[in-house]
Amino acid sequence: MTSSAPTPEIELELAKLPPAVLEAYQESLGPVGGAFGPDEVGLWAKEGVSIGSQTIRSWEAAIEYYRVSPHVCRFLSFPSFMQWARCGTYLAQDSPTLAVAFFKSSVAIVPNLRPQYIPRWAGLGRSLYKGTWKSSTLAAKFFEVSPELVRSLPFWDVEVFASLVEALSYKSYDVASECLTLGKDVLPGMGREREPFLAMARALIDTSWREVKTCLELVPRALQHVDEAQTGRFLKLGERLAKVGLRDTSRFLSDGTQALGRVPSGSQGYILDLCDQLAAVAPEAVPPFLRSLDSVLTRITVSQLDTWYQHGMRLLQDNPESGIAFFKIESNTSESMLETLSSSLELDRVKGILRLYCRALSGAGVEILNTKELVRRNIGWIDEDSASTDGSKVFLPPVVDHYSNKQDNFSWFKVVSTHQVGHLEFGSFEFLFDKQATQFEDRRHGMEEEINARRAEELAARRAMADMARELAGEDAEVTFVEVGPEGAASAPESPGSMRTYTDIGRFLAMFENGKLAFDLFTVLEDCRLDYRIKVEYPGISRASSRVQTETLERRPKIEDMPIQQAMVELLIHMSLERFSGLPVPEEYEEAAVMLSRILHQLRTAAANVEDTAEATLRAYEIISRLPNQTEEEDQWDEQDLEEPGEFNEEEFQDLIDRLQADMEQRSEGQEGDESYESPEPVDYRGDFKPEMVQLLTRLQADSGEQGEAQPMTQEMLEQLLQESDELELDAEQGDITDSMTTFAQNIMKEAGAPPPNSQPGQGYGPLLHDDDQGGELETREPQTFLYDEWDFRANDYKPRWCIVKEKTVEEGDINFYQDALKNYQSLSNHIRRQFELIMPESMRKTYRLIDGEDLDLNATLEAWVDLKMKIPPDDKIYWHRNRNRRDVAVVFLLDMSASTAEAIDEGRQTVDDRDAPDDPVEYMVWLRRRREGLVRRNYKRIIDLEKESTALLVQALESIGDTYGIYGFSGYGRENVEFYVIKDISEGFGDKVKRRIDKITPLHATRMGAAIRHAITKLENQDAHTKIMFLVSDGRPQDRGYSREGVEKEYAVHDTHMALVEARQKSITPFCLTVDKAGHDYLKSMCGDMGYEVLGEIWSLPERLPMLYRELTARRFVRR
Amino acid sequence: MVEAAEQEVQHYSEYAIEEFLVRAEPYYRAVGDEMELFSAAYQQHIPVLLKGPTGCGKTRFVEYMAWKLGRPMTVIREQQNGGGAQEVREGEVRVPLVTIACHEDLTASDLVGRYLLDADGTRWIDGPMTRAVKAGAILYLDEVVEARKDTTVLIHPLTDHRRILPVEKTGSIIEADDRFLLCISYNPGYQSALKDLKHSTRQRFISIEFNYPPREIEREIIQQESGCTEEQADSLAKLGEKIRNLEDHGLQEGASTRLLIYAGRLISEGIPPRRACQVAIVWTLTDEPELQRSLEEVTSSIFE
Repeated sequence: MTSSAPTPEIELELAKLPPAVLEAYQESLGPVGGAFGPDEVGLWAKEGVSIGSQTIRSWEAAIEYYRVSPHVCRFLSFPSFMQWARCGTYLAQDSPTLAVAFFKSSVAIVPNLRPQYIPRWAGLGRSLYKGTWKSSTLAAKFFEVSPELVRSLPFWDVEVFASLVEALSYKSYDVASECLTLGKDVLPGMGREREPFLAMARALIDTSWREVKTCLELVPRALQHVDEAQTGRFLKLGERLAKVGLRDTSRFLSDGTQALGRVPSGSQGYILDLCDQLAAVAPEAVPPFLRSLDSVLTRITVSQLDTWYQHGMRLLQDNPESGIAFFKIESNTSESMLETLSSSLELDRVKGILRLYCRALSGAGVEILNTKELVRRNIGWIDEDSASTDGSKVFLPPVVDHYSNKQDNFSWFKVVSTHQVGHLEFGSFEFLFDKQATQFEDRRHGMEEEINARRAEELAARRAMADMARELAGEDAEVTFVEVGPEGAASAPESPGSMRTYTDIGRFLAMFENGKLAFDLFTVLEDCRLDYRIKVEYPGISRASSRVQTETLERRPKIEDMPIQQAMVELLIHMSLERFSGLPVPEEYEEAAVMLSRILHQLRTAAANVEDTAEATLRAYEIISRLPNQTEEEDQWDEQDLEEPGEFNEEEFQDLIDRLQADMEQRSEGQEGDESYESPEPVDYRGDFKPEMVQLLTRLQADSGEQGEAQPMTQEMLEQLLQESDELELDAEQGDITDSMTTFAQNIMKEAGAPPPNSQPGQGYGPLLHDDDQGGELETREPQTFLYDEWDFRANDYKPRWCIVKEKTVEEGDINFYQDALKNYQSLSNHIRRQFELIMPESMRKTYRLIDGEDLDLNATLEAWVDLKMKIPPDDKIYWHRNRNRRDVAVVFLLDMSASTAEAIDEGRQTVDDRDAPDDPVEYMVWLRRRREGLVRRNYKRIIDLEKESTALLVQALESIGDTYGIYGFSGYGRENVEFYVIKDISEGFGDKVKRRIDKITPLHATRMGAAIRHAITKLENQDAHTKIMFLVSDGRPQDRGYSREGVEKEYAVHDTHMALVEARQKSITPFCLTVDKAGHDYLKSMCGDMGYEVLGEIWSLPERLPMLYRELTARRFVRR
Repeated sequence: MVEAAEQEVQHYSEYAIEEFLVRAEPYYRAVGDEMELFSAAYQQHIPVLLKGPTGCGKTRFVEYMAWKLGRPMTVIREQQNGGGAQEVREGEVRVPLVTIACHEDLTASDLVGRYLLDADGTRWIDGPMTRAVKAGAILYLDEVVEARKDTTVLIHPLTDHRRILPVEKTGSIIEADDRFLLCISYNPGYQSALKDLKHSTRQRFISIEFNYPPREIEREIIQQESGCTEEQADSLAKLGEKIRNLEDHGLQEGASTRLLIYAGRLISEGIPPRRACQVAIVWTLTDEPELQRSLEEVTSSIFE
């Protein structure tokens, strides 16, 4: 006892206190003496006396002091120790109970608390003490729970929490105490969200402190529903709402998280954006919004949500009451808006189905595109809502919401696309001027000659005039054709004056003086022919299309209100929409109407072709153009039934024309006053019909493809042609027309220059949406770089040579990683190896009792022989055969080395339940081991670490069965820099090099999966194996610059990856995707289609699952004998 | 025992393979000059290769030609097991047809024959090819690329001027009967690097290409075979045509005439047309939901 020096006086002092103090002192003297020097022990002992003598009951604290000292002194240096002791002394001064609690907790807390924090910690407890009995209990309780808190929380958070409790204690000690207990249980389980949560709780104190406790109770369960990355934002939102005095924060917490939990993952951030915006305008609208969210999202998609939300937002700004009602879905507006949105159908969703549908019907590689696309190309189509076709693509409006349910809206799409495809299927664009019509006699040629003759005459007259003028003026400047051209419209077909003869339809339409009328007639008659054809060919669709027709009819203008010419065209439209009875016809022109109806009926037969339409147009034009375009009095109209107007007859027609002609001549002498002819309103569902443009485009494409002697069309010629055409309705003022005409012409030339569909991969068109599209094809200059195309789903075509893949070999690292991995997973690795080895014998086993084989199976032969002797029919299966089917597998593993694989795996979650412990003893051991490892090594693990470990296990297993395999990693940044890392090349042998490389697999940049997959395909393609497998291990959706941003690009990446996988399959490679992204189901489904994929529920199972999956995948393919 | 067997009413017919004659005229609608070509080849002992997608009528064509080419034959013995065997009167016009569906386990000895154990030792049993060669039948090897490679050893001597079948195990050579003709079929659609007909084999045949018939003819066939109305048959033929348009756009093979006939038969049994097409055509052709939906949309446009 070296330190006995101070003992006597101290003991004397202590003897004044209850004897238990002295006992405690003596007991601890030994161990403390061992830790500190004699003088220090003296100080220690004295401090105890000082504690004991602070107040009447402080001797209890002294006992505790001495009792814990031996434990505490192991962790603290003497100065810190004394600091600690003095903290106790101060506490004892105020309340011995506090000091006792302080000392008691010290044992557990000192190992985890930095010495300099001890005074602050003591201070936290002290601050809770307000001199009352209740407060001292609370403070003592704080000391009691603090070891637990300090162990798992940063000290700063403990301080915040303590101040929270203190603030609560002003309101109610009971609540504060309960929260303290709850906090101890709840807070350690939280991650990054703790801080915002505490801040939110803090904010609650001022407004509704009772909520704090409920929130604490709710929060662990509630936050499970929210994406980890979003919890912080969510809680901040809560704080904000709490600060503005919103009641029911706990309700917000539970409802809000539940709502978010139902939102498709990945969209939570978006929803929180919306909430933030709402909170800025009217915080009280946020909870109703979140509460409604679930039911809203069952009816509409997240992308439609915006429309609904924005509407509510506007209401909110005008009138908060109605805005909140809107978000509660307690207003009619909200309800009906949801109704419309939920029943509307977006083209994108059904595009795939419609594309195949149109292809089936037309037999051509038709594409379905958005009408916006067509308008954007600026080649003459201007209406974004009308369906149309340009001969190789069908354009449909982006959204249909005519009806209150999706089914009906889809049938509308179907009716419309059937009509557009009808143009292709029934040859609207195949009009040839010289082709025979089937229902009419040829009148085109005669008329053309007549007109040409007349025009030549006019021309000659003009020339003569010009000559005379020149003679008079004495000039010898030439007056060319072109100068007179525009007014004189077309001249002789061969003359270069009019460009319209470039297309057959142009040549036909150029004959008419009133081009607009002729074109309108051609459109309505051709549509009539098509609708009839469709009705006959596709009776299944007739119900839907009749419905559309009936609805269209209801919206047509009244015939009686129109001037005669227009009324007659409208009459034809009515008839083309299958309305034949009760049609108003002007008494005076009843005969003409009947004749028109007869002409129209000629087209209502399956044999009618587009040339018939032309002939019909010609005849209808001849009739209508001879009528005056004047409005008739109401009593001049008669209801007529034109269902069966009788047969068309050329003679009767001629008679009628003659009579009308006579009338007209007579009339022209009399009054003038015809209104100028206006085109009828378009028929919605039939969309835009532009035969001349289509023929023009086709012709231009063909010509540019041929490079023939045929004189190529210049831009000027094209402009002239477009000017003459009646198909272009230009809204622009006269001055702009020439400008826009030039743009059109240029665009059209560009369009035509693009290769015709289905030839080579084109470049796509239209302004592209992301910056990555800048620039074009790439070139490779360095060795070990490869070029790949990329699939652009918008253009439905490949972008040629779009990505550069750079192949690099991974650096070599430490071989120990490989060995450690095997060691750590020893039982698992053995298990896997056993499983793999089982595959082998299957392939070389003898099969007995066969009808045919290598040799006789003696057992079976003898049996058969005996049977024969016994006159029993023997079994003829008496051969054996060795199954020589060698396992012939080549496999490529593609590991995701993107930056996101650096993410730590949350180990806390892994302990959630023990229920899924496997039943199988072997697996159980594996499972147990894995768990223990997880618990022992508390330093965190990353996804990539698991990938690496899995690779090690897999390599070992693969070596045991001798499959050909390659292991590669991929990452990169941007399309010109897709990195492809070789860990083991497929043709490379296995050795230490490979083992070392595994160590160096590290998270890098982004993931452009498509290109990596294509390169892997190249690798596999050169392998001569029976079964080829490509195994993709990733941690999330494909991402890269210009590859994955929200919206279209995200889809772009998924589509490209899908296409790459399809390519793999076309090359008889079996792709399989394994992802550890729990949210993987949504995009993997579209990415992999019917190809195999798996979403790993529990990331820890990766090392186990990967080899097993591989085994199953290959074994299944090998059951054939 | 024999009596008991005789008392049982037999609902089936059983023939020895070389005695199976196409008795009633099978329905076959010629699309081009395939009949003339086949007859000419038969007269000239030139083996025939029939190419074409599945269910377009190759097998039916061979049956029909066997019936058509029949001519007086010498006696063919009646088979022992009663009822089914046909009595063949002398001078009757028949050519037997031996059809073998080839599969990947079909070996040469399956075709030629093998020794079997007998009570008194072993007994040689002729395989179907040997029997066809002896009986002078049309031997039709369906989907010949599926068969093992060693079968080509048999095909070669039979298909050139020699017209012999060497039987290795018995050490004998059989000269083919004068009426014998080898005919094989082959579906280029399945063609893969692994399973292609070798050129040395191919060049021993004349090739007749089959394809799905044009709509009018197909309608006739469907109507004849399924017993549905002309209108329904026309719609089915139209559907077939439309579906075949998708062959390069997602479908591996278009709807075969056979499937269209199945649909027609279901329809004539009273199944609603849309449903009949769904089960007989759409679901048979593809498992991919989007494609199924598209095909159903086509069906629902064509059928009410």
